[in-house]
Amino acid sequence: MELQTLAMKDATIVDDGTTERTSYPYVTGTSVIGMKYKEGVIMAADTGGSYGSTLRYKSVERIKPIGKHSLLGASGEISDFQEILRYLDELILYDNMWDDGNSLGPKEVHNYLTRVMYNRRNKFDPLWNSLVLGGVKNGQKYLGMVSMNGTHFEDNHVATGFGNHLARPILRAEWHEDLSFEEAVKLMEKCLLVLLYRDRSAINKFQVAKITEEGVTISQPYALKTYWGFSAFQNPSKGAVGSW
Amino acid sequence: MFRNQYDTDVTTWSPAGRLFQVEYAMEAVKQGAAAVGLRSASHVVLATVNKAASDLSSYQKKVFKIDDHIGVAIAGLTADGRVLSRYLRNECINHAFVYESPLPVSRLVVRLADKAQRISGLTLMILQEQVCTQRSWKRPYGVGLLVAGLDETGAHLYYNCPSGNYFEYQAFAIGSRSQAAKTFLERRFESFNNYSRDELIKDAIFAIKETLQGEKLTSAICTLAVVGKDEAFHLIDQKIIQELIDSMEIKEDAPADQAPVTDEDGSTGAAPMDI
Repeated sequence: MELQTLAMKDATIVDDGTTERTSYPYVTGTSVIGMKYKEGVIMAADTGGSYGSTLRYKSVERIKPIGKHSLLGASGEISDFQEILRYLDELILYDNMWDDGNSLGPKEVHNYLTRVMYNRRNKFDPLWNSLVLGGVKNGQKYLGMVSMNGTHFEDNHVATGFGNHLARPILRAEWHEDLSFEEAVKLMEKCLLVLLYRDRSAINKFQVAKITEEGVTISQPYALKTYWGFSAFQNPSKGAVGSW
Repeated sequence: MFRNQYDTDVTTWSPAGRLFQVEYAMEAVKQGAAAVGLRSASHVVLATVNKAASDLSSYQKKVFKIDDHIGVAIAGLTADGRVLSRYLRNECINHAFVYESPLPVSRLVVRLADKAQRISGLTLMILQEQVCTQRSWKRPYGVGLLVAGLDETGAHLYYNCPSGNYFEYQAFAIGSRSQAAKTFLERRFESFNNYSRDELIKDAIFAIKETLQGEKLTSAICTLAVVGKDEAFHLIDQKIIQELIDSMEIKEDAPADQAPVTDEDGSTGAAPMDI
C-alpha cells in the first residue's frame, strides 16, 4: 500500500484508475553546441525557453558551471535541467567537503549524469534533457553528451536537438584540432546563425561559455547580425494565388 | 595484563578511560605475521611474511588486490581481513561504476575506518573516535590493514587500525616482530620519496628480513606486491623475488643493519587463526 502511494506521488491518476507520469516536456530550451579548442572547451546556447510554440522566456541561462572543472549545457525541459543542477550541486558539495585535494572532473560528472539519466529512463520517468558536459582537468580536455535515455558518448564537437542536424555538418567540415579561441568563436557563431535562421525555437540572444584550466567564463548575452534582405523576401505575396 | 573487570565487552569503559576490547583487538594484529609497506613519490610496495599452519598446509593469503590502483596487506585475523577486502573491493567498483574513475585512496581509507568504528555499533561520526557500541554482541575487527594506492594526488600508504583510526605513512610495519622492521625503516625513510621502484622493493625485502630474526629468507615465505604510476597493483613473481633475495645476499657482508631486536611482547608461535 505504501509503495503504491509513493508511486502515485509523482503521477497523475487518470479516470480509469491507472496512473500516468509526465511524458512530455513543457518549457523547453533548444540546441546547445559544444566543441573543443586549443585551451579547452567552448559551448554556446541561446537564452530562450519555449512554451510549446510560444517563445515565452527570453533570458533562460542554459549553460552553468559545475565545480571547478566542468560546464553543463542542456536542452529540453528547463525544470528538469534545474533539478539536475540541484543533484550536481549536492554532488559537488560533498566532494568539496572531503577537502582532500581530490576533485570530481568532467569525466566523473559526465558518468554520474549518465547513471542518473539512465536510471530515470528505466523507471519510465525520464529527465527530459539532452546534456552537454565539457571541461578541462589536469590539461585533459573533455566533451561529452548524455541524452534523456542515457545514451552517452564523447567527441570533439557535440550538439543537441536541431544542432545535430544543422550545426554538426558544419563542424565536421570545419573543425580541426587546436583551434584558437577566436577561430572557435567564429565557427560557433557560424553554427548559431544557421540555427537562428532555421530553428523556429531559436532566438537571437546567445551566451557563449568557455572553460580552460584556469576556469569558467560565460559571456553576457549578445545578438548576432542577421540578414533578411534577400530579394525573394521582398513583396512575398506577389504572384501568389489569393483567395479573392 | 590482567585487567579483567572492565574488559568483558566493548561497551564498557575502564575507569582510566580505556576500551580494553579495542586494545585487545589491536593485540591480535601484533600476533599476526609481519607485513611492511614503503612508499616513494611514484610507487608503493607491500611485503608480507607467509606463515603456514604446518609444513603440510599452504600459507594464508595476506596481500589483496583491491583495484588496479589499490592493494592491501593485512596482519591479524586473516578471516576478518578477507571480509574487509571484499568490502573495499565493493567500494572501489561502485565508485568506478558511477564515476568511471578510480576511487581516491584517502576516501577509501576513511570509509574503512568508519566501518571499523560502526561495525561495533555506534553512531558517532568523528573520524578518530574509538570504537564504542550499543550492541555488546559485536566485536571490533581483529586485523590491521596496510593500504597502498595511487590516485591523482600521488602515492599513498595508510595504516588502518581495529580502533577505527587511520594514519598515513612513508613506511610502516605491523605484525609480530615488526619493531625490527620499523627500526630499519626509521633509519632510511627520509630518502624513500626519491627511491626508484627497484630500490623500494629491495628495502621492503630487507625490512621483511629484519622481522625474521635469523630465519632464512626465501621467496617461499615472502609475498611482495607493488603499485605505481603506470603499474597496476600486482604481486611480484616468486622467481623474481628469489632472484632479488639472492642478489642481495651476495652484496650483504657485515650485518650492520641488525640492530638489537626488541619484541613488543615476547610473541612466539602464531595461533592458527592469527597467521
